[in-house]
Amino acid sequence: MAGLELLSDQGYRLDGRKAAELRKVQARMGVFAQADGSAYIEQGNTKALAVVYGPHEVRGSRSKTLHDRAVINCQYSMATFSTAERKRRPHGDRKSTEMSLHLKQTFEAAVLTNLYPRSQIDIYVKILQSDGGNYSACVNAATLAVVDAGIPMRDYVCACTAGFVDETPLADLCHAEESGGGTSLALALLPRGGHIALLQMDARLHQDHLETLMEAAMTACKGVSKVLDEVVRQHLQEVSALTGE
Amino acid sequence: MSVSLPLSVCLVMIVVVLSTLVESSDCKSLDICEKFKCFSPCVCIHLSLPAGDRLCSTEDCMPGTGVYLRHGYIYSSLAGYVLRKNEGEELPVISVVRETEAQLLPDVGAIVTCKVTCINPRFAKVHILYVGSTPLKDRFRGTIRKEDVRATEKDRVETYKSFRPGDIVLAKVISLGDVQSNYLLTTAENELGVVVAHSEAGAQMVSISSIFLFPSSQEP
Repeated sequence: MAGLELLSDQGYRLDGRKAAELRKVQARMGVFAQADGSAYIEQGNTKALAVVYGPHEVRGSRSKTLHDRAVINCQYSMATFSTAERKRRPHGDRKSTEMSLHLKQTFEAAVLTNLYPRSQIDIYVKILQSDGGNYSACVNAATLAVVDAGIPMRDYVCACTAGFVDETPLADLCHAEESGGGTSLALALLPRGGHIALLQMDARLHQDHLETLMEAAMTACKGVSKVLDEVVRQHLQEVSALTGE
Repeated sequence: MSVSLPLSVCLVMIVVVLSTLVESSDCKSLDICEKFKCFSPCVCIHLSLPAGDRLCSTEDCMPGTGVYLRHGYIYSSLAGYVLRKNEGEELPVISVVRETEAQLLPDVGAIVTCKVTCINPRFAKVHILYVGSTPLKDRFRGTIRKEDVRATEKDRVETYKSFRPGDIVLAKVISLGDVQSNYLLTTAENELGVVVAHSEAGAQMVSISSIFLFPSSQEP
């Protein structure tokens, strides 16, 4: 299409947002009763579901057992109907394995695993609709699910993507902006301490712009963390109202 | 006991306390305690945030469960209620609790209730069902070695005569085990050992001494 620009002259993006504006985030905790923890998040049109089981005894190969801390096992998969064309291989392909490994690294940094030696915590994430920011939606959903399961964490893990167009950093990219060929930076942050759990970037970026881009991503993550905070408080109040405490 | 307050009043009080708590560093103020339901005069309960909410410094309180220490301050690691217990002259213990207890793990020294699944001349394998009085959602596996069955005459123990598959055993965890093995348990104490057993005919067996069990209908 001619004239499809990611940032217009007036400063509006493809979906009408400003450069630093996030998409609408809606989330719910405690979606499933049979899992230990579960959460559902919608970031714009991206919908993700996360389920946590554990901590329990290490299943499968016993050699994975760590004597002093818990093993975190993550699995990322996309529903076949999540993308514009039907996905042929929802899990087991290279992208999913890489994403699962990234999630595992992120949560090993945040969860206090040394409280549960010789056990395993399972985090399963599924993307129901994919419109950019898959990793971020997974991390945010998994954070809520881990909080719902009562597994102690150092801090929330909030993730967001950022891009760079026309010397302006864009926050929270949608699918069209990500596949436009420009830079896409995904950042997972522990907001209170400002610690970075995972930083990943695609495509090229001039090193002078890296500072600005990371600042924009961090601000976006802190915005997401405020929303997740609200969701957790509201869930706690609902649960306490139901149990009458 | 539970005091029923209108939910809106509760929420207002919770918001007020949360805003004052963030600024105030003094955790011993009892006037905050009086505004909330308290189970006892020395226990104060109010809503807490998960993951990283700074509760107080280590000079004011001692850390309990559900919290972690960082740079001399106590942060909460769970989403739940803050519980502050005054123990007398010592510093109050601060911990964060949830309504539904998270999964417990058997710890060294804990008394566990387990069920025998497999017998071997060298050891017996069990499934751990309860830790203390809390049932586990998922079974953990444990091992009782031949030399840990009783305290005396350890070399003359015969596991076939000590356990049968299906027996319920009270045991104590002596070790978390290494990479290859399960939890190591012992029954070599007075209160530990087989508590419920069924004979081959299916009759319930009663204990006639600390060592032997006989089916209730049979004469020893």
